[in-house]
Amino acid sequence: MAVQPLPPSRTASVGPPSAGGMNAPPAGTPGGQGPNSQQNLNQIIDHPVHRETLATRGDCLDSRQYPQTSTLLCFSHTSRFDHIMAHLIANVNPQVLEYLSKKGYSRTEAMLRKESRHATFDANQEPLDFADRTKGRQWHESYILVKGWIDDILDIYKPELSRLLWPLFVQCFLQTVTDCFTIEAKRFFEECQKPFGEEHSDDLRALSSINEPEHVQENDIAQLYRTNKYRLTLSKMGFATLIEFLEVKEAEGGKGINYLLNNHIDIHTVDRAAIGGARGLQRLMEEKHGEEQAPAEDEGIPGHHPGSANLSADATGALNRLALGPMPMEADLMEDVKAELGHEDITNPPPPGRSTLTDTFEQRIKSEPVEDTAPSREAIPYPPSTARDVAMEVQKVKENRDRFRIEGKTGGVGPGVSVTMFTFHNTFDSVNCIEFSDDNTLAAVGTAESFIRVWSLDNRALTSPHDPPGFQQSSSRRLIGHSGPVYALSFSPSAAVSEAATNGHTDRTTTSESQPRYMLSCSADTTIRLWSLDTWTNLVVYRSHNSPVWDVRFCPHGHYFVSASADRTARLWSTPQIAPLRLLVGHDSDVETIAWHPNGAYVVTGAGVGDRTVRMWSVASGGQVRIFTGHTGNITALACAPDGHIIASADDKGVIVLWDIRTGRLVKRMRGHGAGGVWSLDWSVESTVLVSGGADNSVRVWDVQPNKETKENKVNGETGGVKVDGVTVHGTGAAAAAAAAAAKTAKGKSREQATPDMISDFKTKKSPVYKVKFTQMNLVVAGGTYLP
Amino acid sequence: MSVWNPENVVDVAESIGIASLNRDVVEHLARDVEYRMSQVLNEALKFMRHGKRTTLNTQDISQALRLLDVEPLYGYESTRPLRFGEASIGPGQPLFYVEDEEVDFEKLINAPLPKVPREMSFTAHWLAVEGVQPSIPQNPLADPRSAELAAKGSGANSTLAAVSGNDNVSVKPLVKHVLSKELQLYFERICSAILDENNDEYRSAAFASLRTDTGLHQLVPYFVQYVADKVTHSLKNIFYLTQCMQLIAALLDNQSLYIASYIPGVVPSVLTCLIGKHLGNAAHDGAATHFALRDYSASLLSKIARQYGPSSSTLKPRIARSCLKHFLDSHKPFGTHYGAILGLTTIAGVQGVRALILPNLKAYDVHLQEGMKDDGKKEQAEFVVRAIVDALETLKEDSVGAMANGHPEGEALRERLVEVLGEVVGGRVAERGDVGLVGAVLEKDMVV
Repeated sequence: MAVQPLPPSRTASVGPPSAGGMNAPPAGTPGGQGPNSQQNLNQIIDHPVHRETLATRGDCLDSRQYPQTSTLLCFSHTSRFDHIMAHLIANVNPQVLEYLSKKGYSRTEAMLRKESRHATFDANQEPLDFADRTKGRQWHESYILVKGWIDDILDIYKPELSRLLWPLFVQCFLQTVTDCFTIEAKRFFEECQKPFGEEHSDDLRALSSINEPEHVQENDIAQLYRTNKYRLTLSKMGFATLIEFLEVKEAEGGKGINYLLNNHIDIHTVDRAAIGGARGLQRLMEEKHGEEQAPAEDEGIPGHHPGSANLSADATGALNRLALGPMPMEADLMEDVKAELGHEDITNPPPPGRSTLTDTFEQRIKSEPVEDTAPSREAIPYPPSTARDVAMEVQKVKENRDRFRIEGKTGGVGPGVSVTMFTFHNTFDSVNCIEFSDDNTLAAVGTAESFIRVWSLDNRALTSPHDPPGFQQSSSRRLIGHSGPVYALSFSPSAAVSEAATNGHTDRTTTSESQPRYMLSCSADTTIRLWSLDTWTNLVVYRSHNSPVWDVRFCPHGHYFVSASADRTARLWSTPQIAPLRLLVGHDSDVETIAWHPNGAYVVTGAGVGDRTVRMWSVASGGQVRIFTGHTGNITALACAPDGHIIASADDKGVIVLWDIRTGRLVKRMRGHGAGGVWSLDWSVESTVLVSGGADNSVRVWDVQPNKETKENKVNGETGGVKVDGVTVHGTGAAAAAAAAAAKTAKGKSREQATPDMISDFKTKKSPVYKVKFTQMNLVVAGGTYLP
Repeated sequence: MSVWNPENVVDVAESIGIASLNRDVVEHLARDVEYRMSQVLNEALKFMRHGKRTTLNTQDISQALRLLDVEPLYGYESTRPLRFGEASIGPGQPLFYVEDEEVDFEKLINAPLPKVPREMSFTAHWLAVEGVQPSIPQNPLADPRSAELAAKGSGANSTLAAVSGNDNVSVKPLVKHVLSKELQLYFERICSAILDENNDEYRSAAFASLRTDTGLHQLVPYFVQYVADKVTHSLKNIFYLTQCMQLIAALLDNQSLYIASYIPGVVPSVLTCLIGKHLGNAAHDGAATHFALRDYSASLLSKIARQYGPSSSTLKPRIARSCLKHFLDSHKPFGTHYGAILGLTTIAGVQGVRALILPNLKAYDVHLQEGMKDDGKKEQAEFVVRAIVDALETLKEDSVGAMANGHPEGEALRERLVEVLGEVVGGRVAERGDVGLVGAVLEKDMVV
C-alpha cells in the first residue's frame, strides 16, 4: 500500500507551516468518495460525547480565536481525541453531511467538510495515513527522517540536536516492538544502532534482546525509558527549527516524532546567546567537535538540575548547602590527644626542621577552611572515645607531620609518587577483591570460593586466644562463613605505629590496640559479616538485603558502615545493630560501589547499567543531597578527596570524572585507562593527586587541578543560580579540546589517548590492579593478581 | 528471525506431550526464550564485573540464575572446557550434546589423588619509586607504544615523555633503536680510550669499567660491531688487534651482560686474530710479536668455548673444523699453523690432539723441515714446533701407563718417534727425553 500514488489532497497539506493544513483553501471535492459502510454511523454521531467534541472543536476552529492552533494541537496531542477524529473523518461520507445539514448542525458540517479533506482514501476505501501506509516501518521511517535532517542541518545546531537521536532511537524501537512489529523492530535496531555503540553499549545490549511487547513491560531499561521523560537541553533556536521541520513533515513521520517528544522527552530550551556568546554557542561547538560523545550533566533520565537531588519538575537550580568540614573532635578526646602529643614532644623531640607534634595538630585544626560548616556530633552519635582512639589520633598527627609531601603539579612536572605493588600468585582468577588495612600490616583477599584470606604483610604470626595447644601458627588465616563469592572487604579504621616511634617506650600499652580489630565482608549470599581480627571468627551476620551485596565500607571513624546491593538500595548500619539504620533508595539500577565522605556525614554511591549516576546521601537524614550524571559506563570505583570537596568516580570504560560537591558540577573528565574497568581510586593526603588502578594492568597517577575555565564556572555555581544549561559548563575546557585535537591526529585512538593531566602510568606485568591506596604517609600501596 | 531456532521449541513441546503447536506460538516462544537468555547473560555480566574478571564463567551464569529466581544449572561448574559430542538425527541435521565422560568407579577410587593446587601467595616489589618505574624483573619492559600514547601538545607533561624516552634523544639515522646520549658518549670514550697507545692508565680504566659496569647491555652489539670493523681493517696493527681482543675479554668478564646471543658475531674476529695469515707489520713490530697475539686469542677462544660451548652444540665443532682446515693447508704461513694448533689444542683438548694433530704430524714434517732450512722462516717454524710439542704435552694427561715399559732406548726410541712424529718434532721430543711424554705419544702407536 505504501506504493500508492499520493492523492492530490495529501500533497496540499504538505506546505509551509504558516499555511498549515487546516487553513489551506479547499482543493476541490475529494474525488473517489464511493459508498461506504455506514452501519454504526448514526450511533457514533448520536453519541453525546462525540457530538459535543465535534461541535466544540468546530466552533473553536471556526472562530479563529487561536492563530497558533495547529502548533498547539501538535503539542497537546492528546491522542485519544485525535484517534476518534481520524476514525470519524475516515468514515465520513456524504450521508453524514446530509444528516448534519438536515439536523441543522451547520457549523459542524462545514468543519467536517473541511477536515475530511485530510482523510484520503485509496481504491479500497482504506484510510491512507502515514502509519497505515508504512505499517511496521512507521517509526523507522520517522527516525530516519529526523536523523537525515539532523545530519544535514547547520553545524551550529548539530551538536545539541544530535543528542536527541539516542532517546528518539530508543523510543522508536520500543514503539515498534509495542506495536508487535518484531521483525521491523529488529531491522530498525540493526540498521540504526551503530552511532550509539560507544556511549550506550550497555543499554544497547539490554535493549537488543527485546522483541515482544511483554518484554518491554518487563525489561528494566525499557521501563526506565518508557516511564520517565528523558531530559535534554536545547537552545531555543535549535528547538524552533526542529518543531518547524516536524510540522512540515507531519505526514511523513513528523507527527510520530512529535508525539515522542511530547510524551517521552523533556526538552528544556535555553537561550544560548543570552548565556554569553563565547561561552554559549562557541564553546559548545569547540567542545563537541571531535570530542567523543558524552552526555551533558543535566541530560538523561533522572532529569534534574546539574548536581541537584531535587527531581521534581518545578525545582529550582539552587543547591542546598552541605556541611563538608571535618567532623569536630570530641572535647575530651582533644584534651587527651593534646596531652599525649605534648608528652611525645618532650620525650621524643622532633628532628631539626620539623615542627613539633603539638604545632602540627594545632595547625591542622585551625587550617580548615572557614566556609565549610562542620557536621554536628549530635546528629551522628558515636560511642565515647577510648584510649585506642587517642593512640590513633596521635599516630595520625605523627604520620601527617612526617609524610612525603605531594604538592601537586608544578610547572608541568608531576610529583614523583612511589608505588609498592603486592602481587598475588596462584589465584586462578578467583580473587574478587583485595583490601589493605590502614596500618599496612594486614592484607585481605575475598575469593569467588566464598572464603576470605588474611595475610600479615610483615610475616607476623596471626594468633588467636582460641588456638588449640600445638596449633601451627602461620602468617595467614582463612575466614570461612559466606556461602557465595565475596565481593568486598573493609577493615575497621586503624593507624600504623611505626617501630621507630615506639622504641624506648615500652610503657605504651595502647600501641598494639591501634591495629584493626574488625573486618566487614559482603557476598553474593546477600549477607554482610563482621569478623573479629583478634579471634579470627565471625561475630555478626547482617541480613537485610535481598540481592547480592556488591560493596561494603566502614565509616572513616568506625562504628557505622554502609553497604550497596543489587536490590538497588544502599543501607546504613551500625556495628552493634543487626538491622539497617537507613535505607538509601533512589538508584534505578544496582548500586555498584560506595564511598564515605571523610567527615562521615555523607556517603556517595555509584550505580550501574541504566542509571549510571553518582549520588550523595546524608547519613543523618538518609536523603539524597546531590546527583551527578555524566558517566557512560557502569561506575566501578568512587573516592572522596580528604579535603571533602571533590568526588572522583570511574567507570568501566576507563573514564575518571571529578565532581565538585559544593557546586554539584563536573570538574573534568580524565581519560587514559583502557576499557575493562578502573577497579580502585584513591587520593593523596593533600587531595592534590589521584591514583587509579584497573583491569588494563596499570596504576596511573592523575593531576586533579581543575582547568581555568572550570574555576570560573565554579564561581558561577557558588552564587546559587546554577545555569540550567549543562552543556556550556561541560568541564573539560580547553585542555579537553586540545586532547581532542590530539586524539584526532592519532586516528581512532581516542580511547587510549590519555588526557594531559595524567602524570604517570605504571604498567604491571599481566596483573590487573584491584586496589590502590594512599597511606597516611603518601606512599601508594597497590594490590593485583598475576594472571599469566 | 530469532536467533533461537523455533524448532527447538517444537521439540521441547513434543517431549512434554504437546503434539501440535501453532506456528505463531512457537515463534513467540522462541523469541521469548531468546529474551530470557539475554536477560540471564546481562545479569551474569554483573557478576563477572564484580568478580573483577574479563571473562564470563559458568559460576556467573549460576549466580545470575539464582538472582532471577531460577534453579541454577548444576554440573557445569567444571573448570575444564566442555566437550561437545555430535550425533546425527537425519541427513544434514546434526545434534550437539555435552559429552559425559564415562568414569570407571574402580579406577576413580584407586587413582592417586590429584595434585594439590599451589597455595595462593603474594610478593611485593616497587612498581614505582618517586615517579620512575625501576627496571626490575617484576616490572614489564618499557612499552614502546607508551611513547605514542603519551599526550602530545602543550599540556603534555615531561615526566611521561622522559619515561617513554622521548626527551633529549638524538637518533642516529641508521640505528633502529634509540641509544641515550649518555650511552653514546660512553661508547665513544671507551673506544678512544682503548686505542690510546700512550696512556696505560686510561686504557686499563676503560677495561675495568667494561668488566664491572652494569647497564651496558644496549651497547654490546655496538662493541661487537666495532671489534669486527677494527679487526678487518687493522690487520696490520698488532696493538689495535690486541686491544680489540682485550675488549672482548672484558665484555666476557662482565657478569651483568648476556653475551650468549652475540657469540656468533664475536668468534670470527677472535679466529681472525688466531689464524690470520699476516697479522701486524713484521718490519715494524718484529717478526714474532704476532705470536703473542695468537696466544692471547687462543686463550680467549678457549674461554668462549668453555663458557658458551654447552649452550651451543655447534660452536666447538665449527671452530675446530676451521682450525684443522688451516693446519692442513701447507700454503698458509707458519703463523697460521701456529694459531691453528693452539686453537685445536684449546678447543678440542686431548682427544683433539690425539685424533686431529698426531696423525697429521708425519705429513706436516715435510713442511716443517723446509721451514727449518729456510733462514727467514726458521724462527717462525721454531714457534710451530714448540706449539706442537706443547700440544703433545697435553697427551700426557690421559695416557694410561706413564711408564716407558717396552719402549726401546736411545737411538731406537728416536727412530720410533721420528717415524710417528716426523723428523723435526720427533727429534725434539726425543731430545727432551721425557718418559711420560714419549709414552703418551707412542701409546697411540701401540693402539694402532
